[in-house]
Amino acid sequence: MSNKSRMSKALVRRETIAGYAFMLPSLIFFFGFVIYPMVQCVITSFFDSTMNREDIFIGFGNYIELFQDKVFLGALRNTVIIVVVSVPVVCVFSLWVSSVIHNLSGPLCSIFRCIFYLPVVTGSVAVTVVWKWMFNNYYGIFNYVGKATGLIDQNINWLGDERYALGCIILILLTTSVGQPIVLYVSALNNVDQSLVEAAEVDGATKLQCFWKIKWQQIKPTTLYILVITTINSFQCFALIQLLTSGGPNHSTDTIMYYIYHTAFKLYRYGYGNAMGVVLAIAIAILSGIQFKVAQSD
Amino acid sequence: MKFRKVMALALAASMAVSLNAVSVLAEGGDTTDITLWTYPVGSWGDSAVVDQMISNFNEAHPEINVTVEYLDYTNGDDQINTAIEGGQAPDIVLEGPERLVANWGARGLMADLSDLWTDEAKEAIYDSVESACQNNDGVFYEYPLCMTAHTMAINKDIFEQAGALQYIDEETRTWTAEDFQKAVKAVYDFGQENVGAVYCSGQGGDQGTRALVNNLFGGTFTNPEHTEYTANSEENIKALELLSSMDGINFDASIAGGDEINLFCNGTLAMAFCWNVAQEKNNAENLSFDVLPMAFPAEDGKPQLCGGIWGFGVFDNGDEAKVEASKTFIDFMANDETQVVESVKASSYWPVKDLGNIYEGDDLMTEYSTFIQYMGDYYQVVGGWAEARTAWWNMLQQIGSGADVTEAVEEFVTTANAAAAK
Repeated sequence: MSNKSRMSKALVRRETIAGYAFMLPSLIFFFGFVIYPMVQCVITSFFDSTMNREDIFIGFGNYIELFQDKVFLGALRNTVIIVVVSVPVVCVFSLWVSSVIHNLSGPLCSIFRCIFYLPVVTGSVAVTVVWKWMFNNYYGIFNYVGKATGLIDQNINWLGDERYALGCIILILLTTSVGQPIVLYVSALNNVDQSLVEAAEVDGATKLQCFWKIKWQQIKPTTLYILVITTINSFQCFALIQLLTSGGPNHSTDTIMYYIYHTAFKLYRYGYGNAMGVVLAIAIAILSGIQFKVAQSD
Repeated sequence: MKFRKVMALALAASMAVSLNAVSVLAEGGDTTDITLWTYPVGSWGDSAVVDQMISNFNEAHPEINVTVEYLDYTNGDDQINTAIEGGQAPDIVLEGPERLVANWGARGLMADLSDLWTDEAKEAIYDSVESACQNNDGVFYEYPLCMTAHTMAINKDIFEQAGALQYIDEETRTWTAEDFQKAVKAVYDFGQENVGAVYCSGQGGDQGTRALVNNLFGGTFTNPEHTEYTANSEENIKALELLSSMDGINFDASIAGGDEINLFCNGTLAMAFCWNVAQEKNNAENLSFDVLPMAFPAEDGKPQLCGGIWGFGVFDNGDEAKVEASKTFIDFMANDETQVVESVKASSYWPVKDLGNIYEGDDLMTEYSTFIQYMGDYYQVVGGWAEARTAWWNMLQQIGSGADVTEAVEEFVTTANAAAAK
């Protein structure tokens, strides 16, 4: 008995060591590129930190300044608008498209998936250049079509007018965000147990009831994943802003991510930028937590 | 089992020894490795041209090995800043005083180049350039190579058809503020809806909008000591009010300097405020009309153009041998009698000292050399420059959205001066 137990303990220990050894390369990267920068970010946020100068400890100074900074508050508001608009729209639109295309024949469904996924795999710079051309104040296609159809009298400076700029950014964000959810929803809908659907139909359930009572329940984990990922992506909207508007006009398209970049890389205020990063991370964590909680309670 | 372990250990040891031997061999001899990071100043962004110049250098100095990295103006600053923070800053950077002196120099990252600034060099190099290459304490962080005057340009064909050429002195390439207004009106009335654009989506080419505003009624951007921003002067406010009220001049927050150049070159705009000889050379194939480079309009007819100065700065990476090797490289590129002409020509600009007419027979360069006489104060070395640049285009965006000009300008000056005082 004691001999057997000693043997199994040795085996378990050996397997444990082997397991950790296999994990080690990933762990090194995880600690080096995720955990360490996170800790460093939190620490630096308590300092007045800039290039080639000793950091000065200022406690919560950066955080206090943050909530008195009009530009930051504006960026926070814009970020919230982007999240509040894009997350539901992306989820509902991709669910609708998926419901329509998942029943189509194989090649046709693949074509639609490709079309919607194309903006995701296309480089953001290429996508942005095309959109910038379409929104162009002088010869953009939107102005051309708008004037040709009589919808507008004169050219609209879509990206240069604060009334439209954020809306344009959200529109582009939607096109680049729906690809992945559509692919995921199509897979999830194809995995729904058809026998349950057929049984419900035999029992006289309507299409809406079938969807709500059976399909929706089974694709809920996918929905939760899509909600969390889309929320995080929307919070982190940066490349579009950097390439299209630089936060303008009049800070109307500033987002927290862009403002972090501007503060840290253009103004060299590393501590202040990190404080923003911490606030952003907390906001994302709280929202994701709420989404998980709501999804679980359902 | 034991044998395998011993073998593995021996193999690892032999690999380590061989690697060490390779690195020892590589370090062998007395060569010094230095890195040059260059912004795209003319053909200094072209590897074929730069390789040839480095080859010339290596003929004279085989003991110094130069590795080149090419930057662009979109990401170049970020690349260098990241390298600085990672302790991997390049040895030499080719750029202007606003970065080498006012930014990295002011942060104590650059090596003092005073020993390159011999009495002979000081005598040869133009005073305005010499003053821009040092900080307020007289420490030189840049050794200059070339310079240009940033101009504006007009579409001569459209101006001619609109009868607006009468408002321009084609010989001196100057015009008054009043002539400018008349010319814009004539072109606008002719049917050219978009005559010019005060572009302000970002900092790209912002020297054009500053020069336009400052020149119209004789305003300045900073005080002569470069310690304070003075853009809230009556002259500047008057200029901004005029521009924002003119038909045909758009305050466009969707374009920056590069976009404006494209719009000018494709005929959408009839004038460009972001222009110099390099733009005409680079866009020669796209231009289907005659370009007339012009000085910015000035009420007194005496324009003060924004200058561009480019030269070398050396990062103090704590290795004296590399700093010395970098200085040798700079000395060769900027002072060697044969090489300096090639180095300057590669930039497409003009030398910072009298080298004779290095562009003899080149009509375009001769035409643009007219503007060197109008070079104004090089104020870009003022403190808080990065923040002030951002505040400038934000201010233009506000004015374009209909904000009160005086309030917007005051806000700009407050922000910029606060940054300068840090």
